[in-house]
Amino acid sequence: MNLKLKLVLVTFLFSVMASFAQEAFNVKGKVVSGDDELPIPGVNVIVKGTTTGTTTDFDGNFVINVKKGDILQFSYVGYASQFIPVVDQNTPLNISLQQDLSALDEIVVIGYGTQKKSHLTGAVSKVKNDDLDQIAVARVDDALVGQVAGVNIQATEGEAGSAPTIRIRGVGSISGSSSPTIVVDGLVVDNDYLGSLDMNDVESFEVLKDAASAAIYGARGGNGVIIISTKNGKEGKTKFTYNTFTGFKEARQSEDYYFSIKDWTDRELAATGTLSDKSRYKLLIGVDQDWQDIIFDGGIIESHSFSARGGSQRTDFSTAFNYVHDEGVLLTDDYKKYSLKLKINTELNDKLSFGANISPSYTNRRRFDGSTHDILRQAPWLPLYHDANTIQYVNQTLYPDVKIGDYAQQEHFDGYDLDGDGGSVNISQTSNTNPGAKVLERDRNDYKFKMYGNVYLKYKIAKGLAFRTTLSGDFQNTKRDRWQGVEASRNGAADTQLDISTENRFHFVTDNILTFDRNYGKHDFNVVGGFSAEKYETNYESATGIGYDSDLLQTLGAATVISEGDSGEFENRIISFFGRLNYAFDDKYLISASFRSDGNSAFGPNKKYGTFPAVSAGWVVTKEAFLEDSRFLNFLKFRVSYGATGNPQIDTNNDQIDSYPYLSLIQGSSAVVNNQIVNAFNPINISNPNLQWERSIEVNPAIDFGFFNNRISGSVDYYNRTSDNLLLDVPISATTGFSNALANRGKVENKGIEMELRTKNISRPNFSWSTTFLASQNENTLLDFAEANGQVSNVDTKRASEWINLVGHPISSFYGWVVDRDIPREFILRPWERAGQQNQDVYVKDLNGDGVIDDDDKTILGNPYPDLVWSIGNDFKIGSVDFSFLFQGSHGAEVRNMGDQYLFQHFASAAGINFETTPDQQFIKQKIFTDDIVQDASYVALRTVNIGYTFPADLMSKMFVTKARIYATGQNLLYFTADDYTGFNPESINDTSPTTYGYQRAGSPINRTISIGLNLEF
Amino acid sequence: MIQIMKPFKSVALLLSLVLLFSCGDDFLEPDPTSSISAETFYSNEQELQAALINIYDGLQGTNDESSNSNHATQMEFYVTEMRSDNTRTKNGEGEAAQFDDFAVQATNGLVADHYRSFYNVIFRANVVLENLGVASEETMPKIEAEAKFLRAYVYFNMVRLYGPIPLVDHVIGINDGEISYTRRPVEDIYDLIIADLTTAVNELDNSNGRNRASKAAAQALLAKVYLTMGTNYTQAQSLLEAVMNSGYSLEPNFYDVFYNENNTEVIFAIGYVPGIADDSQNFSAEWLNGVGRTVGVNYVTDNAVQALTNNGGNRTEVSIRQDVEELAQTQVTKYLPNGEVGELYGGSDYVQPQLAGNDWIVLRYADVLLMHVEAILAGGQETTVSAALNSFQQVRNRAGLTDPVTSITKDELLLERRVEFAFENQRLYDLIRFGKAQEILSAFAAQNGTNFSANDLLLPIPSGEIGLSGGLLNQNPGY
Repeated sequence: MNLKLKLVLVTFLFSVMASFAQEAFNVKGKVVSGDDELPIPGVNVIVKGTTTGTTTDFDGNFVINVKKGDILQFSYVGYASQFIPVVDQNTPLNISLQQDLSALDEIVVIGYGTQKKSHLTGAVSKVKNDDLDQIAVARVDDALVGQVAGVNIQATEGEAGSAPTIRIRGVGSISGSSSPTIVVDGLVVDNDYLGSLDMNDVESFEVLKDAASAAIYGARGGNGVIIISTKNGKEGKTKFTYNTFTGFKEARQSEDYYFSIKDWTDRELAATGTLSDKSRYKLLIGVDQDWQDIIFDGGIIESHSFSARGGSQRTDFSTAFNYVHDEGVLLTDDYKKYSLKLKINTELNDKLSFGANISPSYTNRRRFDGSTHDILRQAPWLPLYHDANTIQYVNQTLYPDVKIGDYAQQEHFDGYDLDGDGGSVNISQTSNTNPGAKVLERDRNDYKFKMYGNVYLKYKIAKGLAFRTTLSGDFQNTKRDRWQGVEASRNGAADTQLDISTENRFHFVTDNILTFDRNYGKHDFNVVGGFSAEKYETNYESATGIGYDSDLLQTLGAATVISEGDSGEFENRIISFFGRLNYAFDDKYLISASFRSDGNSAFGPNKKYGTFPAVSAGWVVTKEAFLEDSRFLNFLKFRVSYGATGNPQIDTNNDQIDSYPYLSLIQGSSAVVNNQIVNAFNPINISNPNLQWERSIEVNPAIDFGFFNNRISGSVDYYNRTSDNLLLDVPISATTGFSNALANRGKVENKGIEMELRTKNISRPNFSWSTTFLASQNENTLLDFAEANGQVSNVDTKRASEWINLVGHPISSFYGWVVDRDIPREFILRPWERAGQQNQDVYVKDLNGDGVIDDDDKTILGNPYPDLVWSIGNDFKIGSVDFSFLFQGSHGAEVRNMGDQYLFQHFASAAGINFETTPDQQFIKQKIFTDDIVQDASYVALRTVNIGYTFPADLMSKMFVTKARIYATGQNLLYFTADDYTGFNPESINDTSPTTYGYQRAGSPINRTISIGLNLEF
Repeated sequence: MIQIMKPFKSVALLLSLVLLFSCGDDFLEPDPTSSISAETFYSNEQELQAALINIYDGLQGTNDESSNSNHATQMEFYVTEMRSDNTRTKNGEGEAAQFDDFAVQATNGLVADHYRSFYNVIFRANVVLENLGVASEETMPKIEAEAKFLRAYVYFNMVRLYGPIPLVDHVIGINDGEISYTRRPVEDIYDLIIADLTTAVNELDNSNGRNRASKAAAQALLAKVYLTMGTNYTQAQSLLEAVMNSGYSLEPNFYDVFYNENNTEVIFAIGYVPGIADDSQNFSAEWLNGVGRTVGVNYVTDNAVQALTNNGGNRTEVSIRQDVEELAQTQVTKYLPNGEVGELYGGSDYVQPQLAGNDWIVLRYADVLLMHVEAILAGGQETTVSAALNSFQQVRNRAGLTDPVTSITKDELLLERRVEFAFENQRLYDLIRFGKAQEILSAFAAQNGTNFSANDLLLPIPSGEIGLSGGLLNQNPGY
């Protein structure tokens, strides 16, 4: 008889004996926290060795049917479990659960495994989803702002559903992406998944910041890794939750961008003593429109999330449904998200377990299809639509068909006989259609269906040794359509257009991992070894139809001509081998070493594989005898890590080149010969068979500490990451027939300091207050840029403000002349002019003093990367009321606010300088070429404030509710910007090229939200 | 036994998953399916023919905004017509205004675009020339001649715009810096142009239509090369007379030259069709008021309005019109997009002016006639040779200016060319060829309060190229 059978038999006999011997009875009790004596609801109370169990109610009370001699197990997340034998039924059990030694001993997910926080030797930050799901935002990444030191999340685009820009420890790549790798439940997914996850279903975020921690993700670790774990069911009674919030959003507006016609004419009157005919006419029309009010129409955001989670001893399940609707603060923008989740884990026997997880989601995003600058530069006398008043000014001769309710166009108002003397006043500055029409008459949507999931099988081979094989994958279907209606353009029906595209992307992965996790006395081993293979397959098609007479049928079939069409497919394949050893001796001396080798189909035969090793070590000083008894110092750890990671992302704007860059590729082309289109073939790239991974090397020494019974804890990290072999689409001589070729060139350094400080200021039964302070400082330097060193780029040849990439300075630095002084008013022809009509010139400094302003007087004017990002969060609990707030700030970044140029000057000729009288004209340049529009993008924001009230449990228990809480929350209720910043969102950055980062063309606004919410659990 | 078997089972399971992913040696080398690897391409004549057509695609340029695309012919007007006294930007906006003011910077993005685009066309021609071996013996000379004609056409424009330039006569790579950054003397470039055109004249015929290279096109172009060099007027004259005996004729109605495509006057034109993004052009829309991506470029200068009004005859109303949006401005009307509801031409209410289909005429018979006069003039100041008078009179008659011509001065010829070919990117080259650029453009600049110097006749080598060359490539004087 083997041992197992013996055990079963013995257990069986014992239980039979027990059941004969004892009568069952109820025992009552209460569970409180040893820390603050507050009751703990939801504690699992289980009769050990059975499936009998219950959970504590809202006041920590429980009743359970037991027999004498039973052992009750009390367990709750974050607390040490207790085992209490039942003595008799008369003595209520008062249990005081002790918090786990400290928060430092959390379990942290580190990629292909977990580790005790106290054993960490790399820079890994964990954010538990305690109340992130109460932040009224539609995307999970928006809720992470200010939660992790070293992770900068910037609202670069303010549209509903749009992704913020996430940078971990600065920008390391130039042509490739600098976005971190996102891992959800073990699967590397597209960053876009951050827009379709349900925050209510997220258990925690782990951020692998240093290269040593991220090296287990090898070639994809170069920009850091964010690991997202979704919730699992727990053994015990099934818990149902319903979480919801509804809020109102509005945009933060800019005072500087408010133009009033009254103010405008007042200035004119003051300056000249009289009003021009145009000004009198504009006043007569009687419209004084703030266009910010029109495009920032505000909206509602709401979220409903249901979940059911639970399980038995062998099986647990988690299921959730979430609906979010965000109307956004811009005209037409709208975002809807539906997501579903099903996750099951089961143990087939003591050795074999398996699980499955599937998460489909659907998002529907309507875009704001335009640019705010185009609307905001409008003259304030122009209304959106004609009404009974404005219709009387419409030039009936030229526009006989214009009626009330039609879009108002500037030219409608021209040719007005102001004084009834047969005169004709023209006030239009553009022949364009109404700016509101350009947005409202377009309909642009992204529809995304996504699904990710996995099945796994896990087999415990021996004690501590397990094998797990996982088959996972994700599927994304994206359909985009864009309709430009008849009224969207001044050219009317001639410009109607429908663009439709779809893209399908399949991603399959097989991971096969062997883990060994075992203690031998003071020796603690955790070893992981694995192999994975994966495949990305993408296919796409797109078509453009033009020539519609009306908006009635928005289909390709209704088009006169299909002007463009494309289709294709491409593939990427990866093979990886990886391993990691974590070893701890006596919880005191820690060492970790890892290795990963990645092979990628994008690279040439000799460069397919890249290897990414890492080592790190730690010393827990407080475990040493001389500090063991220290009263004030509870925890002190020194750690240092060194590792290599990579970045395989290639972005040349051509998927074929990005997928097969080591090959010379030929694509179809065509030419017109005698009015016939004839097919041809065109070489599209210069191949580079030696192309290889971008590589980052990072060193990260740090200290973790805890003082005064861990009431003060935190860490300080220093890092220095050098990324070289950058995958650049480098400029090459045009004489080759190409202007760019992919090559590994250049070197970028990011170095900085990060600090996390958590304090428990007050911990009393009815009053607690804790504070979290995070700060990170980063410095970006271009160390090498090969032939492209000193390369000057611009975004737009018409408004050719310049950027420079110069060794010794941050990548994509602003470049140009330095403002010396404004031109005195007396030399400006019409100094009262406002919207789009202001003077655009300024005196600049002759830096080299040669009497001439030329390229030699240009200098670096700033850069778009913050030097310091910080946040400070406070949590209070006073009885049933909880209150928290988070301030966050960013300092040292600049932005090139081209909005000023469009809104204030817009190449105005009316308000130029007087060339006859203005002195020193050789020192005058347009403001767009100077630091006049390079503005301080620093800000301090009250990101979140949240106040909640939890209903008394006795009241709720009558309604079968175990927990009920209502709350009110606000986002960005306070938002301060630097004095010289004129726009409405210093974080906003237009999507240009990596070498011209930091361009803001008015951009889109900061969202300010106030909402109320409810959490129910039953 | 069981304990031993279990790890084996795991391994077996692992292997089966690996097999699922068909993991062989080539797992990491998937073949592209939506593009072709060039390693095996150009293996037969059909593929070579496709490469030949691809040169025309290159000349045609891409109708898009991408800063990396080849825009070729679609943007050529910026660096030619807008640098002459004929056109300017509407509002003085952006980098294009540097051409108005003779204040071009080496960093000008349009110049870089031009340089890049036309070297791309040269590359496409060199690809064909390098793979001639796959063609049959009888077609090879024709394919070669056609590619060489196109290469010569591009080099001829480039050498006139930039002066000494790198001479690339085969496919080069990133490591051929010496070729990329060595500016070869103008004479060397002309040697290649003449050699290429001579091949074209010898091998081509006139059977391929007007959108492809022909013998006549090669003859006319070679004549223009000789006129430009000013060394071989006799040969120019005989080449032109050969074209005059090849069946081309003036289109009776000047309007039809531009709006009746592939008419008998056209010798070589770059083809476009409307409505198709890949094969249409946008310059027609750019020249209107905010219809294209610019607010208006290639607007007519007052100086050109005056020249046309006084000397254009019936060509004037075909060439220009008042901008109905801004009455003080004058637009070019030789290439109104099909989609524009023109006041004058009542364009067919087709689709999207930005996807215009108007062909770009490179060489037409009127040019041959006036070059014929020029060849006879042979650098002199005046001619009364009847052959010259006859050619000149034909062009004048078509314009409705039928008063008999008894003598032609060099200035009269230049003026005639100006009004005949206004906005056809000829003016700047004519001024230079006639030796009048300094005089006329200085006066024109003075009128506008700007400053012209002889250095402005050459464009700068794009500063990006200079930067990449690491000091090998030197800049034109004045930049």
